[in-house]
Amino acid sequence: MLQRSFPKIYWKSILQPWQNIDWLLLILPIGLTLLGAVMIHSVEMNQGGANWAFQHLITAAIGLVLALALARWRYEWLLHWHWVIYGLTILLLIAVKFIGTEGLGAQRWITILGFNLQPSEFAKLGVIITIAAVLSDRPASTIPAALRALAVAAVPWIFVFLEPNLGTSLVFGAITMGMLYWGNANPGWLLLLISPFVSAILFNVFLPVWFAWIVVIAVIAWRSLPWYRLGTLGAVVINLLSGGLGHFLWGLLKEYQKKRLVIFLNPDQDPLGGGYHLIQSRIGIGAGGVWGRGLHQGTQTQLSFIPEQHTDFIFAAIGEELGFIGCMVVLFVFWLLCLRLVIIAQNAKDNFGSLIAIGVFSMIVFQVTVNVGMTIGLSPVTGIPLPYLSYGKSSLLMNFLAIGVVESVANFRQRLKF
Amino acid sequence: MANPPSSFRPSRRRKKPTKLVRVPAWVNSSAFRAGLVWAVLMTGTGLLGINLFYVQIVKGPALRAVAQDNQVAVLRPFVPRRDIVDRSGNVLALDRPVYTLYAHPKLFKQEKDAIAAKLAPILNRPASELVQKFNEGESGIRVEYSVVEDTQARISELGIDGLELVQGQQRLYPYKEVAADIVGYVNADHEGQAGLELSQQNVLQRTTEPVRLRRMGDGSVMPDKIPSGFLNLDDLQLRLTIDTRLQRTIQPFLKKQVAAVGAKRGAVIVMDAHTGELLSLVSEPSYDPNEYFKANPERFKTWAITDLYEPGSTFKPINVAIALEAKVATPDTVVDNSSQITVDGWPIQGGMGGSSTVTEVLVNSSNPGMVHIVDLLKPDAYYQWLRRLGLGGTTGVDLPSEMPGQFRSRKTFLETRIERAVMAFGQGFSLTPIQLVQLHAAIANGGKLVTPHVVQGLYTSKGQLYWKPNLRPTRQVFSPTTTKALISMMEGAVEEGTGKAARLPGYRVAGKTGTSQKANGTGGYSESAYVTSFVSLFPGDKPQFVILTVIDEPAGGGYGGTVAAPVSKEVMRAIANLKSIAPSSPVEKVEPEEGNGE
Repeated sequence: MLQRSFPKIYWKSILQPWQNIDWLLLILPIGLTLLGAVMIHSVEMNQGGANWAFQHLITAAIGLVLALALARWRYEWLLHWHWVIYGLTILLLIAVKFIGTEGLGAQRWITILGFNLQPSEFAKLGVIITIAAVLSDRPASTIPAALRALAVAAVPWIFVFLEPNLGTSLVFGAITMGMLYWGNANPGWLLLLISPFVSAILFNVFLPVWFAWIVVIAVIAWRSLPWYRLGTLGAVVINLLSGGLGHFLWGLLKEYQKKRLVIFLNPDQDPLGGGYHLIQSRIGIGAGGVWGRGLHQGTQTQLSFIPEQHTDFIFAAIGEELGFIGCMVVLFVFWLLCLRLVIIAQNAKDNFGSLIAIGVFSMIVFQVTVNVGMTIGLSPVTGIPLPYLSYGKSSLLMNFLAIGVVESVANFRQRLKF
Repeated sequence: MANPPSSFRPSRRRKKPTKLVRVPAWVNSSAFRAGLVWAVLMTGTGLLGINLFYVQIVKGPALRAVAQDNQVAVLRPFVPRRDIVDRSGNVLALDRPVYTLYAHPKLFKQEKDAIAAKLAPILNRPASELVQKFNEGESGIRVEYSVVEDTQARISELGIDGLELVQGQQRLYPYKEVAADIVGYVNADHEGQAGLELSQQNVLQRTTEPVRLRRMGDGSVMPDKIPSGFLNLDDLQLRLTIDTRLQRTIQPFLKKQVAAVGAKRGAVIVMDAHTGELLSLVSEPSYDPNEYFKANPERFKTWAITDLYEPGSTFKPINVAIALEAKVATPDTVVDNSSQITVDGWPIQGGMGGSSTVTEVLVNSSNPGMVHIVDLLKPDAYYQWLRRLGLGGTTGVDLPSEMPGQFRSRKTFLETRIERAVMAFGQGFSLTPIQLVQLHAAIANGGKLVTPHVVQGLYTSKGQLYWKPNLRPTRQVFSPTTTKALISMMEGAVEEGTGKAARLPGYRVAGKTGTSQKANGTGGYSESAYVTSFVSLFPGDKPQFVILTVIDEPAGGGYGGTVAAPVSKEVMRAIANLKSIAPSSPVEKVEPEEGNGE
């Protein structure tokens, strides 16, 4: 009796610190990472000498250890340190500007001991924690509180945008929007917040729609803003201006970013140039059909038709080699992962934890949607990696750290009983 | 445990939202918030799922086809056509790389004038003309064809943006019109159009089976599917039996004679009697295959192969051979050789009066005598003999478009005496000059019907035989006894008879003249149009070569003995020189001709 129950007790005591974590939330990213390694290996076979899959696994292992460590710590301590985390994030983003390595026309990496640190990836998590802390202190249900959170997000956002790294800055936007919304901001405000960008795009695309948009914005402003006359006037003026401002902003974009956007709108316009990525990736995924062409059998993948295939375009390899079934499995896993995040957000014991979970949720939903959309030609090529699947050490490490923090939220969802 | 985010503890600063924010209360309810987040998740996943369904399942097969299309590079290797060389290895046709220069003015980074100024000295064209060319369009202007490699290198060195040199091939015929009638030419697409270029197309073209290879995303081609031996270009050449030196020597004589007698055209065929190898086939007028587009298309055919004519007296030795072989006559058989006879109401003239031996009839080329010699044969047997010799058929020569001869039907031949009578002196049927050469070769070589040909086969550059064409098998048609008798009769024809003009001092020559009326196209014979010819077997004591000279429609009339024989004589002199043929053992009557030192 004693003997038989002994191991049980033993294991229980080992797992004690993690007894309340969400196991699914841990297993799903591990599964995705393993699949990522398999697909990265399939891609690297024709890239003589690369051992990306191995590095992917090593990074994941380190990430997993760190995540488990974070999960048994009380996440509340982050509340006390969030300004330090914020400061560190910004410091790294400034540092990359000066000692960073250039790539893709931008300053993106800091090389530390042979490891290419990409501060913008870690900044995602830093921003999530900071906004969560700020919003839990003062919810976004008032304009000043919302603006405070926005200002906190704006500083790193600007640094990332100026790197320039359009993709990551868009992720910041998505994270901020999602957290503001969860933090009780009026949805109308959020719409107003993005309205100038929409306006700038519509102005250049189709004028009547732009006019309609201005009217919609006026109504939203009228109904949601305090001092509604002034507010509405302001919103309308800003939208009117940003129509013209679009040209100015367009000028701010780097040449390659402009090209990406133009090509996204019409990839066939330049099938051998920049549109190549979009077309070849879509062809590859389509060629996968229902069951895929089999691992290592995807010709678009193996013949290097798809660019950046181990990083941003890893989903194309999945689509081609594992087919519709494989894609659906991956989508389902992401869906389940996100569902867990929402549930953890709902069940968190405080706003801080809840907001962290939603921040991570926003990040993953946005990245998956944009990345997969990009590979099938639905969204522009913006350089956003697919969480856990794309090769990229900083990104993978950060994604595991994020899981660790959220697991901590899940692990300590019960209030301490004194 | 449910702890929805809307359970934020109201902060002290928070005002009552209903006063300032005029949105429905439910918008800020926790259920709505959670629901919206849920909706975002479902919409995102759903949209991606639907699109993946569309891309992979609806469009999947089409996209897979596109992928395969992208990944397959069909490579048509740049393979030059094989060279054609003569029997000594002189190159008669070869491929060389040439470039076409294209200009794309829209890509120019310099002024058109500046580019034209740089190109002008290289292309040897005025700059103004080039500028004019550049102004023709935006892109794809063909500035120059056939840019040779040297020039190409000089243009490339300039490094001008907007100029493009596209490699191609050009067939070059170094001997120009010398071998045109044999070699033929290829058109701009490198397809054989005449001569051997046409008839040996399959042999000349190296395998250009397109190879399907995998193409990489960056456009490079994967070497893994290249069939072995793909890059091992063979060095085979098509070797001919033609002797270019002889060909070049004959050409001016023929040209001169055709011009001198105002003839329509002329041809000389030299064939090795034992093997059927054609050493020479000269036609006049000819054309330059390098510039075939400037020539009259009429000249592209090798008329000695493609055109029929009535051989006339040159056919008489064949008839005599038949009579001897059928054992109805000997060289000494005496036949009636009246100066004129009448057959079926038609007068036949040219007899010597009285009786002559078969030899005398042939030496003097007497038509009535010939009619009587042929009369010795049973019509049916005679017909069988002519068929057996291949009349009405082809020789199987390897040049294109050989015309089968025309020959009367058995019924007509047997029932109509005049048909047999005119056949006796080589009229009433037609054959190609090459077929006449084949028949005479049988006399020269001891009775074998050999197949005339110009192709020896494919040889490696080291001279090893790689492929030999299949020729029609040789047939024995006459016995050596017969042919030996014929040769001495034909020697007589040169020494004493109609072919004196072909006598070559120091050598014995067997030959026969021919002058035949041409069919006028209305069923009768033309009064003025003749074909003069001379066939000779050389050297007479041990014939090695058959030489046929045909001069078509000499303006001032004339006979085989006067128009064609002199050319044949020069041909034989050339052969004797080039082939180092030792002078013959003395003929019975040595008759030193005008002291020209031979």
